[in-house]
Amino acid sequence: MKKPSLFRNLLLSLLIPCAVLLVLEIIALAKGVRLFVNADSWKLFFRAVANVTLTTFALSINLDSGRFDFSLGSVSMLSATIAGTLSQQWQLGPWLTLAAAVCIAAGLGLIHGGVYVLTRIPPIIVSLGMALFYEGCAFAFTGGKGVSLVTRTDIIGFSQIGNYILVTAAAVALIVLLFDYTRFGANYRALVSGQKIAVETGIREVGNALGCYAVSGALMGVVGFIGMANTGSQQMALNFGSIGIMFTAFLPMFIGGWIGRYINRRIGIMLGAVSMALISLAYARFDTASSVQSIVSALLLVLFLIYLNNEFAILSRFRRKQEVKS
Amino acid sequence: MGKQTWKERIPAFASVLGLLVLIAAYYIVGAVRDANVAYGLKAIVNQSVVVALVATGAVFIYTLGSFDISLGAATGVSALLGAMAYNATGSLVIMFLVCVGVAVVLGFINSSLASVFNLPIFVTTVAMMSVLSAFMLILIGWNGAGDTVKVKARDVRPLDNIPFKVFILVSYIALCWFIFTLLPTGREAKFIGGSPVCARLSGINEKKLGIIASLISAVGIGLGAFLTIIYAPTLTKDTASSIGMDVIIAIVFGGMPVSGGPRSRILSAVVGAFSMGFMTQIMSMLNLGSGYGQMIKAAIFLLVVFIALGSQRGKLLTR
Amino acid sequence: MKNMKRILSLALCLMLALACIPALADAPVKIGVLVADATGAEALAFRAYYEHYIAKAYNVEFIYSEELNTADGEKNAIDNFIVNNCKAIISFSSVDRPAQIEQCDAAGIYYAVATGTLTAEEYEEFKDYEYYVGAIGPSLDTEFRVGYDMAAYYIDQGMTKFGIFGGAVPYRTDMHIYRAAGMLCAMIDKGGEGAAYQGVTDPGAVIGMIYGTGSIETGKIGSLELMAYVGGYDFDDAWFGKLAQMAGTEGIEAILTVGSGVDVLGSFVSGSNVKLATVDSFTAAMGEAMNSGIIDYVAGKFATSIGPIFVATLNAVNGQPIRDNDGNALALDQGYWVATDAEQFAQYYAVDSSSEDPAYSKAILDTYVPAGVSYDDFAAFIAQYSFDEIAALKK
Repeated sequence: MKKPSLFRNLLLSLLIPCAVLLVLEIIALAKGVRLFVNADSWKLFFRAVANVTLTTFALSINLDSGRFDFSLGSVSMLSATIAGTLSQQWQLGPWLTLAAAVCIAAGLGLIHGGVYVLTRIPPIIVSLGMALFYEGCAFAFTGGKGVSLVTRTDIIGFSQIGNYILVTAAAVALIVLLFDYTRFGANYRALVSGQKIAVETGIREVGNALGCYAVSGALMGVVGFIGMANTGSQQMALNFGSIGIMFTAFLPMFIGGWIGRYINRRIGIMLGAVSMALISLAYARFDTASSVQSIVSALLLVLFLIYLNNEFAILSRFRRKQEVKS
Repeated sequence: MGKQTWKERIPAFASVLGLLVLIAAYYIVGAVRDANVAYGLKAIVNQSVVVALVATGAVFIYTLGSFDISLGAATGVSALLGAMAYNATGSLVIMFLVCVGVAVVLGFINSSLASVFNLPIFVTTVAMMSVLSAFMLILIGWNGAGDTVKVKARDVRPLDNIPFKVFILVSYIALCWFIFTLLPTGREAKFIGGSPVCARLSGINEKKLGIIASLISAVGIGLGAFLTIIYAPTLTKDTASSIGMDVIIAIVFGGMPVSGGPRSRILSAVVGAFSMGFMTQIMSMLNLGSGYGQMIKAAIFLLVVFIALGSQRGKLLTR
Repeated sequence: MKNMKRILSLALCLMLALACIPALADAPVKIGVLVADATGAEALAFRAYYEHYIAKAYNVEFIYSEELNTADGEKNAIDNFIVNNCKAIISFSSVDRPAQIEQCDAAGIYYAVATGTLTAEEYEEFKDYEYYVGAIGPSLDTEFRVGYDMAAYYIDQGMTKFGIFGGAVPYRTDMHIYRAAGMLCAMIDKGGEGAAYQGVTDPGAVIGMIYGTGSIETGKIGSLELMAYVGGYDFDDAWFGKLAQMAGTEGIEAILTVGSGVDVLGSFVSGSNVKLATVDSFTAAMGEAMNSGIIDYVAGKFATSIGPIFVATLNAVNGQPIRDNDGNALALDQGYWVATDAEQFAQYYAVDSSSEDPAYSKAILDTYVPAGVSYDDFAAFIAQYSFDEIAALKK
């Protein structure tokens, strides 16, 4: 069998983001708007890439193992709240505050995982309980006030294109390394593809699950910090007000899955996030109403899934037509 | 197969036991806090009936091992269109029919998309939730009366009473129980939830059953939407928005596994919805702050689920 | 595992029992509070005043609802207050006020509106209800005025290019629409000859247009220009992008926000020459933003502005409701405090955040507790809401 060339794989990997960019540029041209008009546009784009990439990693790490997680937003909120408060009290700089957010979030993820492995309650249910618990913690911790760092120019100064690229690149590299080139990653993949057999061969499922929750938490810590640095504040949410962030990760996750056929899946997820970031930028540049945004994003998700789940039928029909023509 | 021992039967009753514990706690806290517990019971029925209706229908979807997060948004859209239909016609019957009709159409779209195009139902419902929430905002804009769609309270007041609501709930539960327990549909749904591959090999039509489950669930959504208007006839973009999550919690509280299958029970939804109602009342009587209150609520939720799960835990981690 | 379950069950019972202990102490008057916002700075400041000052100064216990955004949520919360034997309800939630009044009247508990008013039609319908105490707060006209004054402040300084953050305008929230309409009308009035918003100049028409579209169109208003507009509270990447774009619009001089200005735009205007104005509250974080020049103008409901409605409610519970000569309930308008520099803000904040001697202290409120307080006296008291007037009252 002929091995697919690297060049072809690379081309196919870039197909979706390039197609999205092309379509958006055409719409922009028709509207008389430039997509990347100034530094703010680039900043928006790279921030969205960082946020969506990290959130999608955080979601997919556990979802691939059948562990649904509604608590991602609450981990992000609580870690940013605690790190922001520490930053205020001890005048921590942006990188130290980021490190604090990551450590705290990893701890929160570990606690979540701990509750899961100890109680053996279905993960989706644990995540609902933990989301409520962490939202309550964040509220109680600040008396509902949240954190305001708007006067901390060093913290809001973190919102730079270079920092977003650095954070995204570091996260992609670490995740690729951890899940594709370590024993932990090999065990993880074994558990994903065959839980029972993997456990019976001696893989320690509990440790692996705890590790996954900790890594997922740490990633959400970065997302929380990026959000806080962007606005200079961390607002509170109660009664599942924090779960919305999770829904932004579905489309890039599926796109990542498709691109993953041609290139490393984690990089595929990042390219999916790039596509989503372009769409976010277009919403901002075209001044799209929020309700229209919701409908367009949902339609894109459904259409992509329709293609993904019926690819064979669609492609064979297309090929048949080609054959008839020739 | 031998007879079940009483120990094996305990998990099946754990959720009912949980409800009884919550009722006992409600009376104890009520006595200590000098609360009007009799009025509270009426409030609990009012507050739980819509969740109970929607959750009862949703049991069919959950039994299949599927998961629908758009239930709240579907209830909201049905209620908004029902209210607008009432304002246009002045007929409660038309309002009722529009509520149920819209819910059925939405349910059909959801399940058809999932069945025809082989989509994972959860993700389809995520997309649907997004579209419906946006549509609610658009509907309110079209209505042109500020940020609400209102039906005159005095027009619906005659129906805003406990016997009517209980009648609707009991009728719907009876219908669902009949379909779930006595017709092949229920058994087939449990079979699919328990072992989809075996069910498929046995000739069970999974797609057809998915659509039937969505349509039965949609009737519950429509009834819930109707009772939402009856209870509070001023509707906003947030109307029924919490129902999606409440239904998940109610079903779990009721002792039903989220993975569906043979252990699914229709009454789980009702037990769960009323357990939530009692818990809300207890929390309200304790008057804890927002943050601490929510932390304790989360802890109790996990504790009750932990106890209700009983001996269902296996060697492997649950997925 | 069995033992663990026993321990956990015991812990659950113990937790419930411990939570009941405070109730065994002296029984205060229970007042339910309906809240539409549980996390906003303004809402938290109100709550702090009631819980940390009023509850200690008077023998009352406040029971708070969860954050409410639906009419059924309001109805459930009132039911919960009735179960708790609350004697009165103070409402900050406005999805369906007529339904709230009807429900409280049927249950025989007093009901009062804080930080808002009823519409004229609603007041006519409910003014003689026995259990309706009344409403004290900014009317929609006052909300319009707040927006108008904010825009006028900058136009009078010679600024001509503006941006508006419309908050809940897309959701058709009255308060935000009136504030935004006020801003536009100030631009129409001060924009010179031919100034109009989308061809209209009448405030009623401007308000109607905003209700119709749920948005605000950018463009020239006479010699002035509305260069950018963002609405909603989406909190997604695109929305933050729109805010950043607005702050970075070339030539823009001031951004007028109907609320939450610092939280949503603070970081984007930080370090720039763009002036930021908002309707918010007097908090420490806002003070820091004022000191550092991020925010330039704050119109705020002072935290203690809800003191008088508490007194009116307490009087009603004690059988001495304040009514006018025809026996009608209170309907009193109350305005905002406006700070335009850091010094003024600090002065307001010091008084407003004090839990020892707040603006409306017990000493002032007690003047209106005894029986026989007339409607006119109480109305005169409410009318003196500015910082200096309250300071004079304290003396």
